[in-house]
Parts: sequence; C-alpha cells; structure tokens
Amino acid sequence: MRTLYLTFHVYLAFVTKSFQKRMQYRVANLAGLTTNFFFLLVHIFVYTAFYAARTGPLSLNLNEIITYFVLCQVFFMLMPFWGARSEVTSAIKDGSVALQLTKPVDFQAYWFSDECGRACYYLLMRGLPTFLISIIFFAVAIPTQPITVMAFAVSITLATFMSAAITITVFSFAFWTLDTTGFSGLSYSIITLFSGMLVPIALWPEWLAHIAAWLPFGGLIDIPFSIYLGKITGMDIWIAIGKQMIWVVFFLGLGRILLKRGFSRLVIQGG
Amino acid sequence: MHHLSLYLHFVKLRIRSQMAYRLSFVLDLFAQASISVIDFFMIALLFNRFKELAGWSLWEVGFLYGMIGICFAVAEMMGRGFDVFQRNVVRGEFDTMLVRPLGTFYQVFAHEFLLRRLGRIAQALAVLLIANSQLDISWSLGKVGFLLVSLVSGTCFFIGLFVIGATSCFWTVQSIEIINIFTNGGVFMGSYPFSIYRWWFRHFFTFIIPLACVNYFPSLFLLEKVASSGVPPLGVQLAPYAGFLFLGVTMLFWRWGVLRYQSTGH
Repeated sequence: MRTLYLTFHVYLAFVTKSFQKRMQYRVANLAGLTTNFFFLLVHIFVYTAFYAARTGPLSLNLNEIITYFVLCQVFFMLMPFWGARSEVTSAIKDGSVALQLTKPVDFQAYWFSDECGRACYYLLMRGLPTFLISIIFFAVAIPTQPITVMAFAVSITLATFMSAAITITVFSFAFWTLDTTGFSGLSYSIITLFSGMLVPIALWPEWLAHIAAWLPFGGLIDIPFSIYLGKITGMDIWIAIGKQMIWVVFFLGLGRILLKRGFSRLVIQGG
Repeated sequence: MHHLSLYLHFVKLRIRSQMAYRLSFVLDLFAQASISVIDFFMIALLFNRFKELAGWSLWEVGFLYGMIGICFAVAEMMGRGFDVFQRNVVRGEFDTMLVRPLGTFYQVFAHEFLLRRLGRIAQALAVLLIANSQLDISWSLGKVGFLLVSLVSGTCFFIGLFVIGATSCFWTVQSIEIINIFTNGGVFMGSYPFSIYRWWFRHFFTFIIPLACVNYFPSLFLLEKVASSGVPPLGVQLAPYAGFLFLGVTMLFWRWGVLRYQSTGH
C-alpha cells in the first residue's frame, strides 16, 4: 500500500512539474486564446451562413452547432491534434531520452503524467477563459441535468486520457523514423477528421458516420460533446463511456508494446 | 544574377538536407497532401448537407480554396526563412548575417526552402483544376494573366505576413504567434466567400490585412460574380496588386526592424 502511494506521489510530481513548466509562457497563452477565438468566430460565420440557406431540419440546430464549436476550442489543446506537444516527444530525436531513461520510473507512465499536467494547464488557462468569454458573446447551451454534467465530466476526462495515450503511441514511431513530422501529420489528419473536430459527425452522410462509429477517435470529441448537448441519453451514455474506456486501454497497451520494442532498438542521437 | 545563382545554390543545399530523413520526408509529403485533402473533403461534406453557401456552389468555393491553398503553400516553401526566423534571433545567429556582404532580407529569404510543401501545392492545384473543369469558366488570355498575377500576389501577401512575424522578433525575441491567425487562419477564412463575414471583419481583411484582395475579389472576377456581389469593378481589377504593396510595406518594416536589432549575445 505504501509503495503504491509512493509511486502515485512520484507521478503526481511529474504532473505538477509539467503544469508549472507551462505557467511560464503567459504571453504565448494569450496569443493562443486569441487564436482560439478567431477560429471560433470564423466557424460561427460559416455555419450561420450555411444554416441560413438550409432546406430541411437537421439533427443539430444552429445554437447547438455554436455550442459544439465553442467546446471544440475549449478542449482543443487537450486533444492530440496539431499544436505544441509535450517536450518528451522531441526527446528521442535530440537524444535527451537517454537522461529520462536513467530515471527509475516507468517511461510510459512518466510521459502520461507529463501529458496530464499539460491537459490540466490548458483546461484551466485556455479552456476555462474561452468558455467563460464565449458564454458572454455567443448563445452557448448549458446542460441543466446533473447527470449530463457528471457524465460529460467523466467522458471528457476519458477523452483526455485517450489523447495522452494516442500521443505516446504516435510518437513512439520516432524510434523508427526519428523525424516524426510526417507520420504524426498523417495520423493527426485522420484522428482530427474522425474525431468530429472539423465537422460534427451528426452532419455527416450516413455511410461515413458509420465508419466513424467503428473507429476510436469519436471518443475524443464526438462522444463527450454529444453527451454535453444531450444527444446521448440514458443507458447509451454508459455504452459510450464504456467504448471510450476500451479504447483508452487499447492505446495504452499499443503504446506500451511500441515503446518496449523501440527501446530495444534505441540508438541515442547526439551527445 | 549573382543573387539568383546563389539563391539556387542555397535551395539545392536545403533540399539535400531535407532528404536526409528520406522515409520521413515521403511520409510528410503525403501528410501535407492528406491534411489538405481532408480539409477540402470537409467542405464537400458540408455542401452535401447544405447545397449552397451564400449563393456559392461547392466548386466555386473549391476555386477559392485552391487559389488560397497554392499561394499559402508556395509562400511557406519559399518564405520559410522568415517563418522560423525567431530561432536565429534567440541563438544570436543573426549577427553573422549582419557582417556578410549581402542584404539581410535576401539572406533570411534564401536561408530556408521547404520542399515538403510540394504535397500541399499539388493538392491545392488539383482542387483548382477540378473546380475549373466543373465550372465552365470562359477563359481568355486576360483572365489567365489575371489569375497568375493574383496567385503571385497572394504568395507575396503570405510572405509579407511571415516578414511581419519575423520582424517582430527584433523587439520580442520570441516570435509573436498571433501571426498564425492571419496565416493559417487566413487560409481557413479565405476558403469561404467573404460575403458571409460581418462588415467589420470583411473591412479589416480588405484594407488592413488585404487577404480578400488576393483571393476573394480576383475570384469574383474570374467566376463572373462581380455584378451580383456589389463590389466596384475597378476595385476588383486593382485588388490583386494589394499583395505586392503589402509585401513592399513589410519589407520597409523589416528594414526599420533591423536597425532596432540588439543581439542576444554570443
């Protein structure tokens, strides 16, 4: 029990360190916030124009679409999309991974903690302000049922875990290609598409939405946001959350295998 | 002439160094293309659901998208030196450039060349060509010339944005990431007809940051939408030159910035 506590304590320290590291960059965060709002604004302009010319009823009304894209910007930095990733990711290329390997901790868990600290930082410093300001300027829907709020909290936490697990998996490929920009670019474009980040899956044609349902990436955006908007209710909430859990475990496992294989063939770069 | 041959030499060196990680290079080329394919695929999905956007059809929007995509990708390929300029300032490397017998603007420009953007250029060009085949535009020599001028001007516009970002490093050392709003954000908003934006937004991106001038106005002319848009025809004709003007102004800004440069020490 005591060792378990100690282990947890160590990783919690990594989470805090990761959080504190990012607190240094206040101006960068302000710039990021502005960028979030810019993209939000353009999205709202575009969808408002599209909705103005619509003919039939849609599964999401304009208010819900606006809320959806507000949520996208609120949680954008928590997701495994393009954007500044954790420093651990460049460690393989510049050789500093050697230093990290000397630490008597599990590498994946260390990396996972770093990602979690990062997520906490962006939730607090980027997500929360984006949400609060959006409430003032746009018609953001707020869930009223306590069960919805609770389920959303669980679901978005799982989405964050999944994001961290995916990031580790994707960057483990650096052991093979060293420069990951190509591979990660390719994976991120697929992840971004099937998460529902660009266009809500509810607006997709049926055949494509069907493919998305079988892929894990809806667990990042589509599932939590649909829960928030009350599009998934009752028992379905628990099925959706269960799906997220399975995929988190899957990516943690995959990342673990890749890391193990990778370390066995690791050549330290640089000196 | 000397400048040109030196530039080509630099480009050759850059390409060789990027080929060092070959597998990654190929993957990146595909990644570049796939990201933009998905971008456009998403626009197509929306049109599948909504049919039209403020009187614009899918392929008319595709035309806009192709134009801005080409300009941005070429600008990124050529103007990369300004895009990553903050590195030079942080490390104090700009000092070396100051003592060389060549203009600083030229040196930074020739410093980098990002071959991998070819993937993105190819995709944007493909969208433009498909859009053209679907649209039945009556091309004339004048129109082709107008398109080319607009594309070059659009490229200048984006390079100008990179120059602003780079110049700001003389004051802030770290680059101001706000410029991403205009570069990446510019591509995003430039992919849709400007008439969907609010007036203050439209005016800002016409008169201060002339994004509309290099993309939206030229396509109004090329797609024969000038009359229905309510934009003065003379303005549409002159609009593309704003990109050149913009680059010129940013070059002056650069020159002024260099005078303010204080080394981070070495």
